[in-house]
Amino acid sequence: MKEIAVANQSEGTIRRSFSISPRTSPLFPFFIFVGFFLIWPIISLIIRSFKGNEDEWTFANYSPLLHGSYFHAFVVSIKLASITALIGAILGSFFVYAIVNNAGPRVTSVLDSVCAVFANSGGVPLAFMFIAAFGTEGLFTKFLKSIGWDIYAGKFTLFSFTGVVLVYSFFQIPLMILVFKPALQGLRKEWSEASINLGANSTTYWRHVVIPILTPSFLSAFFLLFAGGFSAYATARAMTVGTVPLVPIIIGTLVDGNVISNQTNLGDALAVGMIVVAGVAMSGYLIAQRRANRWRAA
Amino acid sequence: MGIHFDYTLQGGYMRKSIISGVVAAIAVAVLPVTMATPSNAYTNFSKCSDLKACGGMDALVKAAQKEGKLNVITLPRDWANYGEAMDLFSKAFGIKITDDNPDGSSAYEIQTVKSAPDSKVPDAVDVGITYGVDNANLFAKYKVATWADIPAQYKDASGRWYGDYNGQIALAYDTSIAKAPKSFADLKDPAFKNMVAIGGDPTGAQEALMSVFAANLASGGTTKNVQAGIDYFKGLKASGNFVPVLANGQNLAAGAYKVSFSWDFNGPGAIASAAKIGKTIKYVIPTDAVIKGTPYIMAIPFNAPHPAAARLWTEFLFSQNKGMLTKDLGSTAGQTGSKIFASIMGGQNIWISGAAHPITEPAMRAKGLAINPPAGFETPASAKLVTPTPDEQTAAKALLKDQWPAIASN
Repeated sequence: MKEIAVANQSEGTIRRSFSISPRTSPLFPFFIFVGFFLIWPIISLIIRSFKGNEDEWTFANYSPLLHGSYFHAFVVSIKLASITALIGAILGSFFVYAIVNNAGPRVTSVLDSVCAVFANSGGVPLAFMFIAAFGTEGLFTKFLKSIGWDIYAGKFTLFSFTGVVLVYSFFQIPLMILVFKPALQGLRKEWSEASINLGANSTTYWRHVVIPILTPSFLSAFFLLFAGGFSAYATARAMTVGTVPLVPIIIGTLVDGNVISNQTNLGDALAVGMIVVAGVAMSGYLIAQRRANRWRAA
Repeated sequence: MGIHFDYTLQGGYMRKSIISGVVAAIAVAVLPVTMATPSNAYTNFSKCSDLKACGGMDALVKAAQKEGKLNVITLPRDWANYGEAMDLFSKAFGIKITDDNPDGSSAYEIQTVKSAPDSKVPDAVDVGITYGVDNANLFAKYKVATWADIPAQYKDASGRWYGDYNGQIALAYDTSIAKAPKSFADLKDPAFKNMVAIGGDPTGAQEALMSVFAANLASGGTTKNVQAGIDYFKGLKASGNFVPVLANGQNLAAGAYKVSFSWDFNGPGAIASAAKIGKTIKYVIPTDAVIKGTPYIMAIPFNAPHPAAARLWTEFLFSQNKGMLTKDLGSTAGQTGSKIFASIMGGQNIWISGAAHPITEPAMRAKGLAINPPAGFETPASAKLVTPTPDEQTAAKALLKDQWPAIASN
């Protein structure tokens, strides 16, 4: 529980930082960084989302968000994020359970590194990896065909919603393993022994001890995965041609396209919409995280 | 907090500089008076609106060489042979060219004009036509010497922007496939199962939008309504021929697709880079639909940091001369500007050599000034060229915005 103690201490430091002292001055670069690259862009984004092309104030950028293709894009994005987060959370938990119970410290540390690499893979290289493996002429596609399974015989294509789900799972599952493993490792042997001494069988122990303890951690991990899947951009963009309408891709088209001019403010409004959705997910994450910490700190 | 700290540090200097500030203010107030005085010795290159007003070619070249630099933006070297154009201009006039973000978008160019620090503002932009129309107030008025040869519908009457070249939609294919496609209709053949791709989202990429227009034309549609084009892609998807993967070099290398729709002026570059990875690709102008895109447009931002070089670059790109290319050009030291300019190939012909269609090409053909396009990129003589108007494109985008995502959803 050493990490928690350190974390609490640094939290205290942040709270006191409004009174300038030599102790907090090393944090100034961090505050400046956050100010320039997070706070200021968000504020200017919100302001621009309420401006028209002639720099006048308007609410007009927000009305397209509520219906039609832009609304649909939010639905698809949320659906994609939820499905990939759920797949990641469930499969990831099983892997974590297997790792915690079966792997020795050396194997665990190797798996940690591997997961860290996979969880951070993304963007164009990840998309290309899958295209080279599972594309129409991918290595795996050819291999599967050689053993009699032509994955492209039916409706399947990698360049569709299903394909993007498959590719996102590639980073969602390892991310789940990384963030959920500490929770499972935090289950103390004494709790299981105590339950058994008190007459609980394995099912009762899981139902009344493990699941209640792990639920907040599981939920917080789910929300984290959701936020990651919701905001991913380059991977889907490199794989598809607007055929999976995701909000980040549409924003890209509006602010950095070659066809639609002067609709960047609409892109800004869509981005604010994304911040709201991500904000809801992150609130869920923080609430669940706080509950999880309460358990762990106990 | 950091900002406050900086101010206190500079406070002392600021007070000392008040006197020089006053001097500068007086100078600024006097300057317009000097400028208003007619003078042959002084030309304001930020304001001069044609070659004559800029003092003629010799004076323009001299001023551009004095500036010594030219900022261009988002010009890929293998796009319409821009690489040769930049090399030739640089070598002939001794002006260093900086190409910011070669693979950027039109939106990026406009954003940079609006927000870059003074010295980084591009001296000329090459953007989609709507970006010119919508942002005309960002550009200086300048009419190139070949102005009269630019069709009226593709230029701003006051000279703020003007079409430079356009592309035609070609079929690009990997020659390893069993059957070589010749038309949009061919691609419906089961021989092309899992092979056909498009170069982007038609609501965001001009090339993809024009591909839909071309498919529409081949399917009996008119430029007023692209529904037949959307249905064409729906049909290809249903038959399994259309792969909704992004058509680009990487994905071609991975074998994710074999046939794509592409601007012809990307052909020479694409063929060369495919050859490097051992792929042979070919371009063919489809027999059943020849869509000529609306031209890209050229414009000089009013705040271009090298106004003379910007005007010289524009004159060069719109020149119809047949002269020398970089590899043939010797030293130009000591030659007059007009002599150098006359000795090198003009941008209009350089674009033709890059399989693009310069805006003054019809006039050049009539005058016998145009060179021949590279082999394999000739437009079939029977082809009727169609160019969708900006309004028709807007209508198409509105339709595509709702219908395009659905063609491949599963």
